[in-house]
Amino acid sequence: MTVFVGIDIGSLETKVVLLENSELLDFRVNRSTFDFKRVGNEMFNDLLERNNLKKSDVYVMSTGYGRNSIDIADDRITEITAHARGAQYFFPDVHSVIDIGGQDSKAIVISKKSGNVIDFQMNDKCAAGTGRFIEVMAGALEVPIQNIGELALNSNNPASISSTCTVFAESEVISLFAKGTKKEDIAAGIHKSIARRVGGMAKRIGVSPLLVFCGGVAKNIAVKKFLEQELGFEIMSPISNGQSNAQLTGAIGAALIASDQSNS
Amino acid sequence: MDNLELLSEYTLFLKEEKQKGKKVVAFISHDNIPEELLDAAGFIPLRLMFAGNDELMDASHDYLSPSTCAFAQSCIGLFSTKPNHFRFLDLVDYFIVSNHCVSDICASEIISKYFNIPRLNFYLSYTKNENSLKYFKFELLDFKDQLEKIIGIEIKNEALMDSIKKYNNFKKKLLEFNNLNIRGSEKLRILQKAILYGPIFLPELESYTLKFSENQIQNSKDLKDVIITGCSVFLNDYLIELIEEAGGNVISFDTWIGNNYYYQIFEETVINLTKNPFDLLVRRFENNLYGDHSVPNFLENKVSQIEKICQNYLEKTGKKLRIINHIIKFCDHISLMSAYLKEQLQEKGFPVLNLERDYSRANRGQLSTRIEAFLEMV
Repeated sequence: MTVFVGIDIGSLETKVVLLENSELLDFRVNRSTFDFKRVGNEMFNDLLERNNLKKSDVYVMSTGYGRNSIDIADDRITEITAHARGAQYFFPDVHSVIDIGGQDSKAIVISKKSGNVIDFQMNDKCAAGTGRFIEVMAGALEVPIQNIGELALNSNNPASISSTCTVFAESEVISLFAKGTKKEDIAAGIHKSIARRVGGMAKRIGVSPLLVFCGGVAKNIAVKKFLEQELGFEIMSPISNGQSNAQLTGAIGAALIASDQSNS
Repeated sequence: MDNLELLSEYTLFLKEEKQKGKKVVAFISHDNIPEELLDAAGFIPLRLMFAGNDELMDASHDYLSPSTCAFAQSCIGLFSTKPNHFRFLDLVDYFIVSNHCVSDICASEIISKYFNIPRLNFYLSYTKNENSLKYFKFELLDFKDQLEKIIGIEIKNEALMDSIKKYNNFKKKLLEFNNLNIRGSEKLRILQKAILYGPIFLPELESYTLKFSENQIQNSKDLKDVIITGCSVFLNDYLIELIEEAGGNVISFDTWIGNNYYYQIFEETVINLTKNPFDLLVRRFENNLYGDHSVPNFLENKVSQIEKICQNYLEKTGKKLRIINHIIKFCDHISLMSAYLKEQLQEKGFPVLNLERDYSRANRGQLSTRIEAFLEMV
């Protein structure tokens, strides 16, 4: 078998990729909704149809928060292992990975020698430092989520957001807004707050260059910039053909692991 | 048998014992409470070794802040709400206030004060020099006085010596059972029941040992073997399920419900040569290198002990053990030391997962991911 499907069912979005001979042939991204199974199946079937394939033509590896909720998967892997493998696809010399998704954030250290994951850290059961945090704050600022990163980079005087709790931080943002603090300064403060939290977690397990930043939040340029400031070195994000593949890294990793297993 | 059945059965056991005139003394389970003294005085020692859940933790917040040890919160929550299968807590006559850790003192004082359970005091020193051993003996004697005042008769040295022998034999049998190569969930279920009931469980324990010694796991190549250290896995906890669902198998519990308890065994010759049973208890306190509190330099001991267990296991089975350091949220002692423990063991080539969590059901998915990823790592 040469065609492998990786399905990354995240808490907010589901990503499905199709790989043949380690080449990305096609992909789909959709909201996960509350029905992981239905969304995963629909996206998978759609991908097969678009590429004139049958289920029996492909081997399916699921990953992500909802990895156990779909029955079309032939095997499952955690998103930690999947992101590490996906990051290696784009940057073979990767040593560390930061993945910020909708519901959680992770820092991963990869052995330079074996290429295996040797340590990782995840956020606590809390939205701080995740995509959901940005989503809530974008809502509070009434800025479309895709524009909030760019807005933050316009700031010359980032506001200080001291609350780590999403609910308290939202109140803090509203209060800053009421005091007349500029939107871009508040947005910068929000991004710095995420970078501080995720950066602290990453430093605890000793991340170092070459570090790959992936997950949906990696598409946000301000988080990337403030994370670089926090860590003190440049970080990389998967891009091909001018498009960010940060969000697909886990799904690609899952498909590659399926391919690795098939080869071994 | 699931835990609810065990708890119902335990309630009946306690009721029967109470009908015989026995009194129940509860305490937050740790490895330095002289349960032999309680036994010699005719009391039933009740170790609080029950994991919590969201409701129990919430119920404790009238007394404790949510940023307090989740186990302490759960203990208070149990007394505050007394869920159906914990009605036996109504049978508790006394509560031991001890200083195993800050949460132990706070939770025990709160339980005694707010739920009107008369307290007994038993305090430990944190050091182990000549003076602190003398102090420990004074505490034992003072504890004996407190018990004698309740029962109105003297606790004879002979009775205490008999209890020490009884518990010592029980711990030896627990160690023997622990060494069987069986599924971790099965092992834990029986260890928890044994430690809850105490030596009265011995005949059942022996029959389990016999039964399982003939049904040990023969080929465990597909299982990823794990040792749990840090905080105990208490009754009603789902942690072991998550580990097994992820393809892991816990072969050793380096915790209160595990090694810390049944590694504290006296050699027969030591018992025979010691006339004063209190000296034996002092000796045990002095030699307790396996606990995590009141043990100077406990982390170095812990690291070398885990290393030894892992090396022995590797030699015996050819398999590498993975270490899960179980950290109950806001258990400051285990939490603060976790980075050092991980670093030390990782330097020696042993993979370590610092697994911090509370008893909430909401983070089951995330815990599962962390455990699975850790087991995928090696």
